[in-house]
Amino acid sequence: MGIGLKNLLNPLDAVKYLFKKPHTIRLPYEPKVIANRYRGIHVNDWDLCVGCGNCARICTCQAITMVPVEGIEPKPGSTNLRPKVDYGKCSFCGQCVDVCPTGSLKLSKNFNLVSPNREDYVFIPSKEWDSGPGTGWESDLEYSILNFERVEMPERPPEERRKDFEPVILGFSEEQAVVEGMRCLGCALCMDGCPTRMFIPQYIEAITDGDYEKSLKIFYVNNPLPEICGTVCTHRCEDACVYSKRGQPVQIRYLKGFGASRIDDRAKVLGTKIGTKRGRVAVIGAGPAGFTVSYYLRREGFDVTIFEALPVPGGMMRVGIPRYRLSQKILDREIGFITSLGVEIKYNTRIGRDIKLSQLLKEFDAVFLGVGFHRGIKMGIPGEDGEGVMQAVDFLRKVNLGEEVKIGKRVLVVGGGDVAMDATRTPLRLGAEEVILSYRRREVDMPASEEEIKEAKEEGVIFMTQTLPIEVLRDSKGKVTGVKYVRTRMEDQGPGRRPRPVPIMEETFIFEVDTVIEAIGQEPDYSLIEEEIREKLTFDRNGKRVVVDENGMTSVEGLFAGGDIVNYRGDIISAVADAVKAAKGIARYIEGK
Amino acid sequence: MNGEMEILEKVKRAFGDRIETAPKRERQAEIRVPLELLHPLIGYLKAQGFGHLATISCVDWIEEGEFELVYHLWSYERRFHLLVKTRIDRENPTVETIIPIFRIAETYERELHEMFGIDFPGNPNLTPFLLEDWDGPPPMRRDFDTRKYVEEKYGMVDLTKELWERQEPILEGENGED
Amino acid sequence: MERIEHFEYFIGPQHPGVTGNMSYHLWARGDEIIKMVSSVGYLHRGFEKLMEYRLWIQNVPMVPRICVPEPDVNETLYAMGVERLAGLEVPERAQYIRVLVLELARLAAYLFYFGGVAGALGLYTIPQWATGDRDYILDLFEELTGGRVYHIYITPGGVRRDLPPGFREKVKKVLKHLRERLSDYDRLFFDNALFIKRTKGVAVMTKEYALEMGVTGPNLRATGFRYDVRRGDPYLVYPKLEFDIPVTGDGDNYSRIMQRRLEFEESIRIIEQVLDMMPEGPVITKLPNPFRWKIEKNDVYVRVESSKGEFGYYIVSDGSEKPRRIHVRGPSYTHGIQVAQEMAVGLRIADVPVFLFSLDICPPDIER
Repeated sequence: MGIGLKNLLNPLDAVKYLFKKPHTIRLPYEPKVIANRYRGIHVNDWDLCVGCGNCARICTCQAITMVPVEGIEPKPGSTNLRPKVDYGKCSFCGQCVDVCPTGSLKLSKNFNLVSPNREDYVFIPSKEWDSGPGTGWESDLEYSILNFERVEMPERPPEERRKDFEPVILGFSEEQAVVEGMRCLGCALCMDGCPTRMFIPQYIEAITDGDYEKSLKIFYVNNPLPEICGTVCTHRCEDACVYSKRGQPVQIRYLKGFGASRIDDRAKVLGTKIGTKRGRVAVIGAGPAGFTVSYYLRREGFDVTIFEALPVPGGMMRVGIPRYRLSQKILDREIGFITSLGVEIKYNTRIGRDIKLSQLLKEFDAVFLGVGFHRGIKMGIPGEDGEGVMQAVDFLRKVNLGEEVKIGKRVLVVGGGDVAMDATRTPLRLGAEEVILSYRRREVDMPASEEEIKEAKEEGVIFMTQTLPIEVLRDSKGKVTGVKYVRTRMEDQGPGRRPRPVPIMEETFIFEVDTVIEAIGQEPDYSLIEEEIREKLTFDRNGKRVVVDENGMTSVEGLFAGGDIVNYRGDIISAVADAVKAAKGIARYIEGK
Repeated sequence: MNGEMEILEKVKRAFGDRIETAPKRERQAEIRVPLELLHPLIGYLKAQGFGHLATISCVDWIEEGEFELVYHLWSYERRFHLLVKTRIDRENPTVETIIPIFRIAETYERELHEMFGIDFPGNPNLTPFLLEDWDGPPPMRRDFDTRKYVEEKYGMVDLTKELWERQEPILEGENGED
Repeated sequence: MERIEHFEYFIGPQHPGVTGNMSYHLWARGDEIIKMVSSVGYLHRGFEKLMEYRLWIQNVPMVPRICVPEPDVNETLYAMGVERLAGLEVPERAQYIRVLVLELARLAAYLFYFGGVAGALGLYTIPQWATGDRDYILDLFEELTGGRVYHIYITPGGVRRDLPPGFREKVKKVLKHLRERLSDYDRLFFDNALFIKRTKGVAVMTKEYALEMGVTGPNLRATGFRYDVRRGDPYLVYPKLEFDIPVTGDGDNYSRIMQRRLEFEESIRIIEQVLDMMPEGPVITKLPNPFRWKIEKNDVYVRVESSKGEFGYYIVSDGSEKPRRIHVRGPSYTHGIQVAQEMAVGLRIADVPVFLFSLDICPPDIER
């Protein structure tokens, strides 16, 4: 290509820009509009942040460290650590924001940090640099690196399962367990939620690796009933899981059940070694607390004898929880392993009637009391006494022991807890046509767990919330014909307090039922303890629960206690936690004697 | 697809069963060859149209005590990429240079010499390349720890501590006690 | 009087006549170069070693820093490699967005290139124009990804966020502006007598030499060999897009520079097609838990056409959470060291910067 006049003159064309406005300098000055997605300096909402430490672990420049902050109270599900960022190392990539489970960490639109002091570049971000919602690089459920949805446990369809007592849940397959277990981030906030502090991230890792034997060993460090807990636990760990803040928590309970169900021969994995310590311990009550304390004491080498009033072991697990929630097979397997170590059980032996507590305290080196709350609380309304009205605990016990129970066609259950849910679903399986649940507060106030409420509704239980029974109506022969009730309205009690239900007495209605089951609560029966010992025991303010020290020992020398009669949560895992503590206390006490 | 498998068949026929081939993805396959057949194979492949040597990589399989050298060859006509792999001993790594076949290999071999410590007899330019005044071992080897080297040479303390401590369970059989 | 045989010059590492931080050692007799030796190593940060210590997803912010003018190529290569190894599917919308980002990065890199070459020739208006126009593209990147130079936007599984509202119109506005400016660039630079006289016939590279020395990209196409990785080893959605591969056959400085000017127009064409053809849908596939994601033992080589040539990654995994080996093959590896050294012999001193700039050598991707 040759050179012509055109090539010499063309460049002069650029002179036209002399008369145009420059596009790089804005006159009059306007500051540059920063894009909404700009990745600038960190911003952290301390109220939402739980201190899980995932931002610190994913940071590729290792710029974030978790430090304790004064003035923040740690509680289950939320620590007092907050991230501290070193801006000499941070590369502003935003991966910490994308991995934050609660969405509290954000990158703001600000990038101007000028200071002559080196210390000003390392600080704990708070909300001070925030430019408002919708600005900066924010966490989003859709674009987050984490998966907030869990694998749902497959269940039998309601029409099929309401007819029999076979288990409702079908259990995870291995693939589902691996997919669900891989979601666990290892932050260990769940351990603070578990009353007995099971080593949850470690056993989830073992289960996803397929190492079920290792997971079993991790369970038994502080819980000898893993498969039972893995089916019916109240899962306080899941409530503390970081995923529960914005999504669905990891299925810790069912993963534990899956892992425990994979081992048939526990003796082979855990061994049957018995220690060499000497001593005799009596345990009253073959429930979760009783079996736990027996297991750990027996492993140390002590001789343990359990005294149980009923003809079957298991306590509330056996006679309180229906078989469609917790199958007999699981109970037999777990209890069978504990008894195979040499724990002796004396059935049909009621303390106070067959043998006195003072006798036990003399003959044994220590006594553990784990009798639970087996007596139902009565409503106290007219017409209550007589045939056709029963306590839920008695009803469930009779059903679970195979005794005959008279249930009519239309059943009313009063209450709102898990026991009430069990009491509504069991009559359906025994042939009742209609089951009504009456609860004096709203559904959102019900203490029962969400799965149980959902399953009860699916099976056809009719929920009548904000109703309060006031009288049981009987005919001339004494049979129950109905229950008179009023509606209630919720009265606000002020901030931080539960609203109170106030009955509207002006109008009354009638439930047309022929059976009434009361499930408004349980209380203990301390008649097994003699007068002299009962006077020496310290009870709490309500008089229902026994006070124990940090070793699990009551104010009576050599008498330890645990389970529902000690703790306020009333579930299996709390009983296990009390018993683990008491086992250590009993061992120390006997050695010190 | 047919054209790709055809070249693998040809190579197998020419070199017998001392080499192994495996397809990788579309337009890519690997050939594993013992060290003595490396030069004949590369020369043969260049004659078959694989005229572009993209790079020479080295992977340190320290558990097996071997380096794996990968020669990446691309053919413009066939649109096919071959990974020619060979294993050499890690203690005394020596590979004859392929400069007579591909002149550009001089720079690739120079980098491997510096980073992994592999000797290429016949290469006239195995001089320091990327590392200035380097006095340590070949840094890309797996047994070279960057943090430790920095601490020893410059006396710098590693300021990143454990981010937080997680309680670990004591299992039976590990300490003898439950 | 002593007869001086030759002078020794050092150009670089901080020198306006060199394309980045690398240095050349010249021996010149009079005005003619008799020997040149390159010296790299000023930018070696040890990325390949650092990447072996990090989890798969922690490498995503490290990777764009390997090539400074065009960081998206590295992100795309890393994402493509990991997706191949792990068997991940990328949603289609994400692939279109990746093409959009890559082509915008190519435009920005070419503008940088024009500025560099013109600066080496002494036409200092063009670098000012080019940097200003490149800023429009950086503004677009700031809208889309949150960062101006290092985007950290393309990740294994897709892209990190969707297009913000109103983005299409903004891109179209910028493309319109660039098209108008291209005619201004033509009149001031590409049709300038000075440019033609100084670059025609200088530093001729033959096709055989280029193929023998492993030169790829626009430098190879400038010698007359019509080859582009986007057609040769296609990736993303390039098979569905229409674009030509221009070839200027002379192989001298002039060809190389005009080659990129022709490809600039093709890139604008590609971006317009992408904006019209982009489907709706998700933009990312969820990865498994990043702290425990293991990829089984395998290795793969992936390549992408960057503005400088063929960029390649060889990724090896050994079944653990961290990569075993990531080998980065930069395009300037071949033409930055051996080709530049051999072809500089016989040039005049004043032509050396123009020659180096016309090759578009990028020291960060030689040294990583």
